Amino acid sequence: MQPFRKSSFVKKGNDMLIKKIDTKHIVWFQNSNSYLIFEDSTTAIIKKLHAKQPISEIENWCCLKLEIPKNIAKKFVNDLVKLIQKQHQKPCTKVPLLAMRFVTPNTYNSSKHYLINEVSFLIEFETEFLESLIHPKFAHLEALKMKATEYHYQIFQNDEHIIFLVNGKHIGSWSCKDIHLFQGKFSMQITQHTHQKEAHEWLGVFHASAVGNDTNSLLFLGDSGNGKSTSLALLQANGFKCLADDFVPIDAKKQEVYSFPAAISIKKNSLKTLYPFYPKLKAASEYRFKRLQKTVRFLAPNNLDYTTHLPCKALVFIYYKQGIRLELKTISKVKAFEKLIPDAWISPIKENVALFLDWFLKSPCYQLHYSDAEKMIETVHKIFNDDL
Amino acid sequence: MKKKSKNTAKKITRKDAVKKIGNYGKYAALTAIGTYLLLNPQKAQAASPEEPGSGF
Repeated sequence: MQPFRKSSFVKKGNDMLIKKIDTKHIVWFQNSNSYLIFEDSTTAIIKKLHAKQPISEIENWCCLKLEIPKNIAKKFVNDLVKLIQKQHQKPCTKVPLLAMRFVTPNTYNSSKHYLINEVSFLIEFETEFLESLIHPKFAHLEALKMKATEYHYQIFQNDEHIIFLVNGKHIGSWSCKDIHLFQGKFSMQITQHTHQKEAHEWLGVFHASAVGNDTNSLLFLGDSGNGKSTSLALLQANGFKCLADDFVPIDAKKQEVYSFPAAISIKKNSLKTLYPFYPKLKAASEYRFKRLQKTVRFLAPNNLDYTTHLPCKALVFIYYKQGIRLELKTISKVKAFEKLIPDAWISPIKENVALFLDWFLKSPCYQLHYSDAEKMIETVHKIFNDDL
Repeated sequence: MKKKSKNTAKKITRKDAVKKIGNYGKYAALTAIGTYLLLNPQKAQAASPEEPGSGF
């Protein structure tokens, strides 16, 4: 039996995008919001399938092009059809709004006012624990009590879930294990409200640090512990602007890096390096995260203009390790994409995906390994000044 | 089709590789083009997981 004799796998709504990357192709599937990287010949077959060419013609093309027997070509095409069908059939990856009844508390443990970009917020925390999830990163933005606030956030717990309301609207509920998703949604709401942009106007949010000069910005990427935040703190002590730490939003319209006003999270083992630049860190409160076995202090950003947004000059995959020589090299787009995607939220809207792919493909990607801070700063100057 | 996975990849000698692929060795081009990489972005915006371990 030969299934899939017709190229019928392309159904309405099963959309995809194809872009060239190095010697390969990225294929994005709308239904699953997944990105697959294929070799050129495989992409050629996918295009033929998408154009609804008869399967037998595609198999013949494979025989000639790949110099393989008919039975092998049939199996190969069949496997490819199955793989693509799987992507088309995957359920939509949107996180469902957890449907649950909740009771709004009568009293809150704390109510805090914040002012960001002249936008006023009143945030109410039901418990000290909930406050600890948000306030330390935003303490530098706390303002005196205001008569009127534009945004009223309520954060409380019901039945082992965190509930988040904005101006009385239920934004979401998260269980104990998804606290990082609550914090992500909170950060996204802050971003939308401070920059006055709706959810669909954002291209993505990257797990990175962003630093800028007057005209451009750089994204520092890498695994946790690679030195993204420390590098950002060192650079802001040396004349650069801090745009964002840990949560870097990029808009869809111009693909620019936007300021995110949270403080920089400094781990214990970076303190010694940073004390000469930030003596106040010595007296800063310390927060212990037992499960992750890390202790952090928060450092306020020096750029107080939270309206800042700058084009991205390059993506830099950074790695700090004591004793190593500075090395800066261009890395392949495929390697950079492989590192970038799993940690990022990319808007699943097709138009935004196309913009994201174009933006990524034209952005230079570097790998920077260092131990000497001065040399790293000098290299960052060179990247900004096209002086490599 | 073969999914590329960093976790399961292990180095083998050329001799072992030739033995493994047997008759399919002559279809080396097919082996190469049949390899793909699947990447899924995060389903929602997330912060670095920094929450205290004790939960609520």
